[in-house]
Amino acid sequence: MEFYNKPGDYDAINYIPHTESHGTKELWKTFWLLLGITVLDFVIYFVMPASGWRNFIFIFFGLVKAYYIVGAFMHLKHEKINLALVILVPMVFVLGLISGLLYEGSALEVMKSM
Amino acid sequence: MANHTSTQAAFENQPTWAGGRSPFNVSYGKLMMWIFLLSDAFTFSTLLVQYGTQRFSNVVTPITTKWPDPASIFNHFPFMHGLHLPLLFVSVMTFILILSSVTMVLAVEAGHRKSKAEVARYMVYTIIGGIAFLSCQAWEWYTFIHEGARLDGNTFGITKQGYDHLNSVGFGDHFEWAEGDRTFGPVPFAALFFIVTGFHGFHVFSGVVINVVVYIMTVRGVFERRGHYEMIEKAGLYWHFVDLVWVFVFTFFYLI
Repeated sequence: MEFYNKPGDYDAINYIPHTESHGTKELWKTFWLLLGITVLDFVIYFVMPASGWRNFIFIFFGLVKAYYIVGAFMHLKHEKINLALVILVPMVFVLGLISGLLYEGSALEVMKSM
Repeated sequence: MANHTSTQAAFENQPTWAGGRSPFNVSYGKLMMWIFLLSDAFTFSTLLVQYGTQRFSNVVTPITTKWPDPASIFNHFPFMHGLHLPLLFVSVMTFILILSSVTMVLAVEAGHRKSKAEVARYMVYTIIGGIAFLSCQAWEWYTFIHEGARLDGNTFGITKQGYDHLNSVGFGDHFEWAEGDRTFGPVPFAALFFIVTGFHGFHVFSGVVINVVVYIMTVRGVFERRGHYEMIEKAGLYWHFVDLVWVFVFTFFYLI
C-alpha cells in the first residue's frame, strides 16, 4: 500500500472536495418549518398573556429554529460527529453561563432595592 | 487530477489522526470558517449574557414596568403612522432573513451540481434579501432614535398609567403616548439594543459584502476554472450564522 506522508503530497491548491447534491427537498422543508415556527411565535405573542411559561416556549422555539438552521442549512447534521461536537460542546457551557448569570441578575435586583 | 483520486484513496486508508488529511473530512477553509463562527458565537454570547444580567436586575415591579415592554416601543410599521402594530415589522424582517437563508442554501446546492447560472441567480436573490434586511433595520433604528432612544439614557420606562393605557389599545388601533405615561427606565436598555442589533447588522453588512464578492467571482468563472464551488459553501456558513444570531436577537429583544 502506498502512503503519502511526506510534506507536499497533499496538494491543498488543487484539492477538490467531494460534493454531491442531496436535492432541495430537505431545504424547502426546513424553510417551511422555520416560517411556521415564526408564525407560531407571532400568534402566541398575542394569544397568550406574558408569563414565564410563554418565555419558556419562545426560548424553546428559538432553540428548535437554531437546530434546523445549524443542522440543515449549515449542513452540520451531515458532517462528521467529531466536528459537530467540537462546535456544540463549548456552547453548552455558554448556556450554563447565561442561566447562571440570569440567576445572579435577579439577586442584583434584590440588593439594589435594599 | 488523476493523482488527486489516488492521493485521496491513500489518505482514507490511514488512521484518522495520523496526519496528512483532515480528521473531520472537511477542507482547511471550511474548518477555519467553523472555528471563526465558534469564536463569533462566543462574542455574541457575551453580549447576550450582559443583556440577560441587566434585564434580570431590572425586572418588572407591580407599580411600574422597569424594563421597557418591547411591545410598547417597537410597534411601528412603515406607512402606517400612529397605529399600534407590535412585533409586525420585526416579523417581516425575520421572514426576509429566513428567505435569504433559503436562497443562499439553494446557491450552495446549485454549486454542488456545478451549475454556474443557478449559483449566480441565487446569489443575487440572497444579496437582495440582505440589503432589504439592512434597510428595514435602518428604518427601525431611525424610528427608535426619533422616539428618543439614546445610548446614555432611557425614557421608555412605563408608569402604571401608561401600562393601563397600552393594554387598553388593540392590535392596529391608533396609539399615542399621553402625559405621564412614561418615565425614566434603566439606562442600559437602549444602549444594549443598539450594541447588539448594531453588531448583528454589521455582520449582515459584511455578509452582503462577502456575497457580492463571491457573486462576482462566480460570474467571472473563477469557481468554474477551480473545479468546485466550495467558496459558496463558506460564504453560506457565514450567512446562516447571521440568521442564527437573529433568531436569538428576535427571541430575547422582541418576544420576551
